[in-house]
Amino acid sequence: MKKIKLTIIIIFLLLLMGGPAIGASKVSFYANITAIEPIMEAFEAKTGIAGEYTRISTDKFLATVLTEFEAGKLLADVIQAPIPVLEMLSEKGVISSYISSVAQTYPDWTHKNGIQLFGIEYVALIYNKELVKQEDVPKRYEDLTDAKWKDKIVMANPAIHPTTISWLIGLKENVFSSEEEWMNFVKGLAANKPMFVASFGPTPAPVESGEKLIAISMPKYIITKAPAPLDWAKVAQPLLGTPRAIAVTSSAPNPDSAKAFIDYWLSDEAMSILAEDVGEYVLAPGIFPPIEGMDKAEVIAIRELSDEEIQQWGNEFKQIFAVE
Amino acid sequence: MNSSSRNTVILLVIVGFLTVSPVIMLLFGSFSRGLSVSGAFTLDKYIAAYTDPDLGEIINNTVIFVFGSSLLATLLALFLSYLNNRTDITWKFLFRIISITPMMIPHILFSVSWVLLLNPSNGIFNLILKQLFGLKNSLFNIYSLGGMILVEGLLDMPIAYLIIAPAMASFDVNLEESSRVCGANTLQTLIRITLPVLRPAILAAFILCIVRCMASFAVPSVIGMPGRIYVLATHIYRTISIGFAIDYGKAAAIGMSVLVISVILIIIYRYLTAESEKYVTISSRGYRPAVIELKRAKVPLFFVLGLLLFILIVLPVLVLVYTSLVPYSMIPSSRALSMMNLNHWREVLKDPISILSLKNSIFLGIFGATIGIILSIFVAYTIVRIKTRTSGILESLSFLSFSFPGIVIGVGFMWFFVRTPIYATIWALLIGYIATYIPYGIRPLSSAFIQIHKHLEESSRVFGAKPLTTMRRIIVPLLIPGITSGWILMATMFLRELSLSVVLARPGSEVMAVQILRFASDGLWGRLSALGIIMIVISTSLVALVTFIGIKLKP
Repeated sequence: MKKIKLTIIIIFLLLLMGGPAIGASKVSFYANITAIEPIMEAFEAKTGIAGEYTRISTDKFLATVLTEFEAGKLLADVIQAPIPVLEMLSEKGVISSYISSVAQTYPDWTHKNGIQLFGIEYVALIYNKELVKQEDVPKRYEDLTDAKWKDKIVMANPAIHPTTISWLIGLKENVFSSEEEWMNFVKGLAANKPMFVASFGPTPAPVESGEKLIAISMPKYIITKAPAPLDWAKVAQPLLGTPRAIAVTSSAPNPDSAKAFIDYWLSDEAMSILAEDVGEYVLAPGIFPPIEGMDKAEVIAIRELSDEEIQQWGNEFKQIFAVE
Repeated sequence: MNSSSRNTVILLVIVGFLTVSPVIMLLFGSFSRGLSVSGAFTLDKYIAAYTDPDLGEIINNTVIFVFGSSLLATLLALFLSYLNNRTDITWKFLFRIISITPMMIPHILFSVSWVLLLNPSNGIFNLILKQLFGLKNSLFNIYSLGGMILVEGLLDMPIAYLIIAPAMASFDVNLEESSRVCGANTLQTLIRITLPVLRPAILAAFILCIVRCMASFAVPSVIGMPGRIYVLATHIYRTISIGFAIDYGKAAAIGMSVLVISVILIIIYRYLTAESEKYVTISSRGYRPAVIELKRAKVPLFFVLGLLLFILIVLPVLVLVYTSLVPYSMIPSSRALSMMNLNHWREVLKDPISILSLKNSIFLGIFGATIGIILSIFVAYTIVRIKTRTSGILESLSFLSFSFPGIVIGVGFMWFFVRTPIYATIWALLIGYIATYIPYGIRPLSSAFIQIHKHLEESSRVFGAKPLTTMRRIIVPLLIPGITSGWILMATMFLRELSLSVVLARPGSEVMAVQILRFASDGLWGRLSALGIIMIVISTSLVALVTFIGIKLKP
């Protein structure tokens, strides 16, 4: 009995001594982008400034940053999120006006009052190259409405997933020549009864395993999930995606480190890591992900949709895709 | 005010502070215009939430899902705890550990395992059955209400098991012997004596499962959503997720109805177990749990139990081991076997954040569960022994945070903690965990308290012992099975907790579930499975250690 008590006390003391981990902080980075640890390490190695990366999913991003900001406790020096989120935060005064000199090499349309666009969350048709014959690979988006794809498609739920909703609207505005043509595509896709998942994250697994054959997903998975037999359908039309953006916060606890971080983030070195290691499509000129054919693909940034528009279209798609 | 009333009020303040604070923030949020808690008053969120034309179908699905899963969990737990505690079935220790294994597995992983086994396109079970019987179509479709009930029922079964098992273990053999003397056979004794006496534990398990199922998100999301079956939790997600400006106030407005249902369930439970003296099995006359000899049924029941646990629990875990070894999601084949390697394991073990989160989770699991169980002993004692209106309020309060859907309660805690100095520290996680999951400690302890006769305490006091001495010397030793169960429930929950962690964890306070979510977001199922298995091994070791200590300390 005494031995057991003693053992329990020792375990507790050890836990208390080594328990909560406390880390030094120099620049705090809130982001919804994933797998960026190599950039954080390279930044620290280059500048000596420790980078702290907090991943916050898109659905909690605004709530977290606004709650902290309104309580005067925003811990982030730099934030990264889809452009509509940063614009909403900018309206609330969360974003500073800092413009990095490195951003001068980026296209003009990527500068937005302190918010810098650096990449596109691009979407493509990702298929299992071992199970889909080359002649069956879609050549155009409309090919996805062919009955041979019935029960073979996986996609994020078009009634709720903002990027998928934006992608469908992007097709209407940038790819299809008429609204009728576009609506036929959407209804044809719905008739093939795609399997819905919550976001892009769970889309590649069913394609890898052969549960489904094709996904409306992100080409970056071809890199991050290698050697999975994934490839993208090189359709004749452009690829679309929502812009990824970054900014320094107006209340940054470490403003100088924040500026150094954003300068590094936008540099060719960091963008090359993002493209090569993570498969992201970046806007730094001349840098492409190492995915065959991606350097020649036309990738268009979708117009920013307001939340009202996204909700309205989400409800519309909910009806269209509710087919039995 | 006498000392009992004063202690009740003190506990009420502590538990109330822990559990009411986030719920109050959510209540403000649900009545506040805009995205924060400090907007102008509005009823718009309630009107929008409760006039949704889909609500009827959602409620229907939710009722079937919740009752189906809870019933399955409770019945399975009853069967397993009876065989494991009351019979001479062999390999008891192993069966005990396997029975509670699902609660050590991150729910998202367990759900994905079942998808790999039972999806209609190429689920492993379906492929085997097709080959064996020459079927054209798959026999099972996991993406159905039945599939959701199966997986959720299995995930919640350990909760029911850990509440029912201690009550089974403390059963007074005299009651059953009297029944047999009067001519009843084993089955009649089970139905007429054993089960009615165990009513508080069975009801407590069933109610806790109902509340947990209502708040569950992983199974409805991974299995329900692809099958286009929405229940309340996914309905909340669907309602608030359209767009970038997520309105958690609106989610809270829907969540309030879950809260009301939970409170009603607690009241019903208190009513049904009001005459707690009927369920006393440990009195001053001594007690000894009886072992029923299975005789000829021993071998068949051993195989039934073994097969059941293998198919329902071991097989999904083996799928995880397999997934952690293949380079990507693959159906088992000779090619898959030839491609197996340890790359996912290497990636996880060399990742400093994974190691840090492992360390933090172990700390939170052991330290948090111990603090939680100490608080639970006092709360359970007050609820069972001091049956006043205040103790009734205390019992309801303990369920407040627990019964809120997981995707909302974390935000409630964030809105609360951001106003305190512990925001963004590991201590916020610790307090949040205890506040939310305190029913895991209280339920098994309440069931155990009900079985201990008051005379034991009274005898101690007659001999001059103070209340705390009586608690330490008489009550706590008799409560060891309940304490062990409660501690295991809390520790394993804290080790895999996600709802709060995903909102409150910051650099330095990362925990395993957050790391698992990161891998899931990137679709890295191999690393996810490797980390999940590490989590299962740690949890199993802790459970085995605590079960062993519990057996040693048992009077």
